[in-house]
Amino acid sequence: MSLEVATVVEDAAEYSFAMEYHGPPITRELPRAVPINVDRIPVAAVVSPLAFSDNLSLPIVQPISATDIIGKKLSMDLKLSSSSAELLTVSPTSVIAFESRNNEVSEGSYSKELGLGTEISVSPSSVGNALDEREPENCHSNDVCALSGELSSDFECCHRDGGVNGTNERGYSSISPDNSCELGGVGTSEALGSLDSFEKSRDSSGSLHKSRLSSGFKESLDFNESNRTDWASNESVLSMDYLSSRVSSRKFGDGNNESGCDVRRAPVVTFCDIESDDENTNEEFTRSEPEVVRAKKEPAVKVKKGACYRCLKGNRFTEKEVCMVCDAKYCINCVLRAMGSMPEGRKCVTCIGYPIDESKRGYLGKCSRMLKRLLNDLEVRQIMKAEKLCEVNQLPPEYIYVNGRPLYHEELIMLQSCPNPPKKLKPGNYWYDKVSGLWGKEGQKPSQIISPHLNVGGPIKADASNGNTQVYINGREITKVELRMLKLAGVQCAGNPHFWVNDDGSYQEEGQKNTKGYIWGKAGTKLLCAVLSLPVPSKSSHPCGEQVTSMISRSMPDYLEQRAIQKLLLIGYSGSGTSTIFKQAKILYKDIPFSEDEREQIKLVIQSHVYSYIGILLEGRERFEEESLNDLRQNQCSDGSALAGHVDCNGEKTLYSICPRLKAFSDWLLKIMASGTLEAIFPAASREYAPLVEELWSNPAFQATYKRRSELETLPSVASYFLERAVEILKPDYKPSDVDILYAEHVTSSNGLSCVDFSFPESAYDDDADSGDLHDSLLRFQLIRLQAKGFGENCKWLEMFEDVRIVIFCVSLSDYDQFAIDGDGNAVNKMLLSKKFFENMVTHPTFDQMDFLLILNKFDMFEQKIEQVPLSQCDWFDDFHPVVSRNRPNNANHPTLGQLGFHYIAVKFKRLYAALTGRKLYVSLVKAMEPNSVDAALKYAREILNWDEDRPNFSLSEYSIYSTEASSFSH
Amino acid sequence: MSVAELKERHMAATQTLNALTHKLKQKRLLLLDTDLSGYARSQGKSPVTFGPTDLVCCRTLQGHTGKVYSLDWTSEKNRIVSASQDGRLIVWNALTSQKTHAIKLPCAWVMTCAFSPGGQSVACGGLDSVCSIFSLNSPSDKDGNLPVSRMLNGHKGYVSSCQYVPDEDTHLITASGDQTCVLWDITTGLRTSVFGGEFQSGHTGDVLSVSINGSNSRMFVSGSCDSTVRLWDTRVASRAVRTFHGHEGDVNTVRFFPDGHRFGTGSDDGTCRLFDIRTGHQLQEYSRPHGDNEVPHVTSIAFSISGRLLFAGYTNGDCYVWDTLLAKVVLDLGSLQNSHDGRISCLGLSGDGSALCTGSWDTSLKIWAFGGHRAVI
Repeated sequence: MSLEVATVVEDAAEYSFAMEYHGPPITRELPRAVPINVDRIPVAAVVSPLAFSDNLSLPIVQPISATDIIGKKLSMDLKLSSSSAELLTVSPTSVIAFESRNNEVSEGSYSKELGLGTEISVSPSSVGNALDEREPENCHSNDVCALSGELSSDFECCHRDGGVNGTNERGYSSISPDNSCELGGVGTSEALGSLDSFEKSRDSSGSLHKSRLSSGFKESLDFNESNRTDWASNESVLSMDYLSSRVSSRKFGDGNNESGCDVRRAPVVTFCDIESDDENTNEEFTRSEPEVVRAKKEPAVKVKKGACYRCLKGNRFTEKEVCMVCDAKYCINCVLRAMGSMPEGRKCVTCIGYPIDESKRGYLGKCSRMLKRLLNDLEVRQIMKAEKLCEVNQLPPEYIYVNGRPLYHEELIMLQSCPNPPKKLKPGNYWYDKVSGLWGKEGQKPSQIISPHLNVGGPIKADASNGNTQVYINGREITKVELRMLKLAGVQCAGNPHFWVNDDGSYQEEGQKNTKGYIWGKAGTKLLCAVLSLPVPSKSSHPCGEQVTSMISRSMPDYLEQRAIQKLLLIGYSGSGTSTIFKQAKILYKDIPFSEDEREQIKLVIQSHVYSYIGILLEGRERFEEESLNDLRQNQCSDGSALAGHVDCNGEKTLYSICPRLKAFSDWLLKIMASGTLEAIFPAASREYAPLVEELWSNPAFQATYKRRSELETLPSVASYFLERAVEILKPDYKPSDVDILYAEHVTSSNGLSCVDFSFPESAYDDDADSGDLHDSLLRFQLIRLQAKGFGENCKWLEMFEDVRIVIFCVSLSDYDQFAIDGDGNAVNKMLLSKKFFENMVTHPTFDQMDFLLILNKFDMFEQKIEQVPLSQCDWFDDFHPVVSRNRPNNANHPTLGQLGFHYIAVKFKRLYAALTGRKLYVSLVKAMEPNSVDAALKYAREILNWDEDRPNFSLSEYSIYSTEASSFSH
Repeated sequence: MSVAELKERHMAATQTLNALTHKLKQKRLLLLDTDLSGYARSQGKSPVTFGPTDLVCCRTLQGHTGKVYSLDWTSEKNRIVSASQDGRLIVWNALTSQKTHAIKLPCAWVMTCAFSPGGQSVACGGLDSVCSIFSLNSPSDKDGNLPVSRMLNGHKGYVSSCQYVPDEDTHLITASGDQTCVLWDITTGLRTSVFGGEFQSGHTGDVLSVSINGSNSRMFVSGSCDSTVRLWDTRVASRAVRTFHGHEGDVNTVRFFPDGHRFGTGSDDGTCRLFDIRTGHQLQEYSRPHGDNEVPHVTSIAFSISGRLLFAGYTNGDCYVWDTLLAKVVLDLGSLQNSHDGRISCLGLSGDGSALCTGSWDTSLKIWAFGGHRAVI
């Protein structure tokens, strides 16, 4: 193989720079170029050769075989140059590995490197070269060793200049990128003509360097070897610089374009004075990223520059797609194979799940022409959407410093989801004035006014924007340009005042109460700000105090929504009031609980319900009429037969008789109800019959029936609520109120499942004891209501709800004396049916280890009922023997019978639950018609979830409200 | 007639019914004197052999963030629609493994999805009891979501399964938790016929699956929680043509045999069975002995294009390839390299039979292709 290598080298005459070396004679023999350790090249696992021989047309992706790679790679690499160091340089991002090895090598064989003029030292030398044009004494270059003779003296030189280097570190990092791009320009003109890619520029920098060496050794004498620490500080800068400029150059920019890109990017890099600021971040910045990159980069390391990382073909002119993580580039033929279905956007399959390279953030979601050619429009859109929105690709919060403190995840979310978020947030140091909302980069004037009062980052520092005017705004020394603006805006700045500026632009001097004026009040000021490129408050942030609430109702970014949502499953036997609770939650937490369409729909439902109630009453009326007629006749019979004839002809008038017209309506309505087509007919007919209903309502016979409504079993208890207002409801322009909807039956989607997303409003939350963390107000909940009816007993669908956080099981307290027909056709106590359903749910494998909150609903009705009907109506509650004190009505402290009953039932359920699961059941008492009651229950559910998160800290029994009272019972 | 008397008569009738049912069962068992594998063995057939690379996973479709519940292929182009618990339908290009559509559903609890024969629209259904139709050509709204082009309202329980009538983009059959199956006219959005229900001789449990006969699209079968399978004629909605007993658990999946004269079933009792619709008899039972009491349920089945192979997904993550003739497991996809991590919830064979797609609770779908020049696929 080495023979072959040698011939290849000889053949590679087209690369002229290999012959251009005019330096001093090389003292040592050139080392042979056999640096590739075959074992270290990772390749795809080879399918067993047996299978290959048997089956030639396997439909699998052909693996890259080891021999292939080595052959190609060797020839390609060696065509370029025969230096061993060459192999080290290819990967531009693996700076650390490269540097360290570079240093090792350079210590040993300087002459060799220089002699060959390869781009072993591309990154440092490009910087160094550029720098030496301006500040030769500050420049660092390991090519120092160029002149092997002067090696020792150079090192001395380096040590002597070490101090200078140290002090200039900061300036250094800011200068270097600009210079390197300049170098690109130089390279173009001087060496190779058109410069299409940065790879090229690196080449040219190599040759440039070489030519420089030939002309000016004197100059290179002045180079000084940088010390190690200096390297460290530069590494991050360099690596960042590389990545971004490479991406930009991929766009076939010419020299100008490229430098343009670099200028735009420059702030990012110069901005990295984190290094001088904070040692810890420095660590993070320099280490964490390259580490990932390095680990991932391995397979690609030994690829010729410009070639596709997979098929190893192509040159730097072929269009390529870049992996957002490891910077591997793939040609049009390989990109789909290397990147697969791109579930997180343009990443190699192996890079999926890794955070993207920060310098490529700007390219997120921006599609290349190549991808557009390769895939159809829809596919591209999906990929770009995934790329932009998937969670791994989001900005890591710890890279953003606000007022000198790295952000937490929640803070970043808050920052990004506020009504007026900072634009183009990139990793770096920022300052944020919480009072006025001014936002800027550390050490610079404000760039934007974002939403104020966000609780992110630390307190603002006086030198945040590096001002020197001795005028302060909210404790920050402002910059000159701001001061100029203030003066021009007519603010008195004499005597270095300290201002207090609010988010609406009103300002006051520190320590004084009266507002002196509004900074941005005048139209001219805004214009002025535009000229001075200072921010002005955006309209949306202006003045209304609802910002805080609007912040919550604002829709979250897509990717946040998925994570933050916590699902609460609301189930219960039919009639337990789950729908009321669901509606109540909607009304409580939604700005618009029901849309216009929904209300229209609900209105029709309510109206047809009212007709059916009227129908039931009319049916009752007929019955009552008959009864009273019978009574009348019997009375008359007993009175004496003499009067009988008289009464008959008098036309059987009783209290319940109605006139013929209403009678006709009544007959018609009852006929329709009997045929079961009421719902189909009534919405349309309601206009026509509304006047009739009015007449009917005022009819004394009907009123008399209504008074006896308790005798009509089929009339639901809510009917009276609607019947009292029947006339109003049946008007065509009736708009159901929230309370109407709450009372109405069957208005939530009749079959199956309904869900509502909500978060607890902050204002309400503030009343709670621990309002400290804003984090909670951002938590989003989803209340899912399932109707037990229509879902089979096997409950296969429950598997879908294994990701809910808590199951809220609803039981109607007043069910204890009610009966329903079960599957076998027997009448069973509804409480027992509820209990059976509860047992099913609790023991369901999907809900293993799930928390259950039992809501005992309809307490208001229960309280009334228990006074009349004993609780022992239900077999399960036959041992309820409350101790009732005789003077109960007078004693306010003593629990009422209702409360005792509730506690008793709660304990019954708790015992049952503990017997089934061995865990604790949470119980809450609810009157679903009262908003506060439902609100409290749902907040209780949230608290349970909170305890869940730090369960080890609590002994739960203390927090289970009713457990202590439960022990006070005797049975 | 007094209530007590009525109750007595009811009890007596129930007892008679139970006795008769039992007798019927005995008779059926008596008639089951042979099965397919016994006959095939006596004819000297040998099971299909599978080499290690005869069926390999060649694509993994990643993109769902929730459990995959259902998938369907288009009949000709290589596209797949998959439904997942993350509330999305994704339409994939199976060759490039790219996504062409990601449809956010109004109700996240989706249980089934289907591709229309023309490949222009997809249908899905779930716990919202509605079958929603999405036209893939319609423009997406401002949030990038595809609007629902038709809602098929009418079921009173969840929609557990849906399938388009072959070669008809306008008709669809759904199975539901309300114990009925419904044939829909998509253009009007109305029910054409309802199979089963209160007053008809339909299923007595949730219907979990339907399959339409490929060669005679008037016939379809439905599998139900009442552990029976029923054969229906779409022209006669009033009663089932035939009821197939045999399973001892919920029938989770039914699938017609390619020739249209037989169908396969998969059940909670851990077995797959093959029934003949002409004789009404069970031809073969496919089950493996399980020592412990935890029998993995069959979640989904599919036949290869020749019918010789039966692919069956199980709740424990296994995916057996059965030789239908000899009732032998010839391959377990779950044991192969890069197989699924979770339960396999759905299976589907591509239109030309060259590839199998599996969807799993591990949120990914995998495409398996037959290698080489296999005689039997």
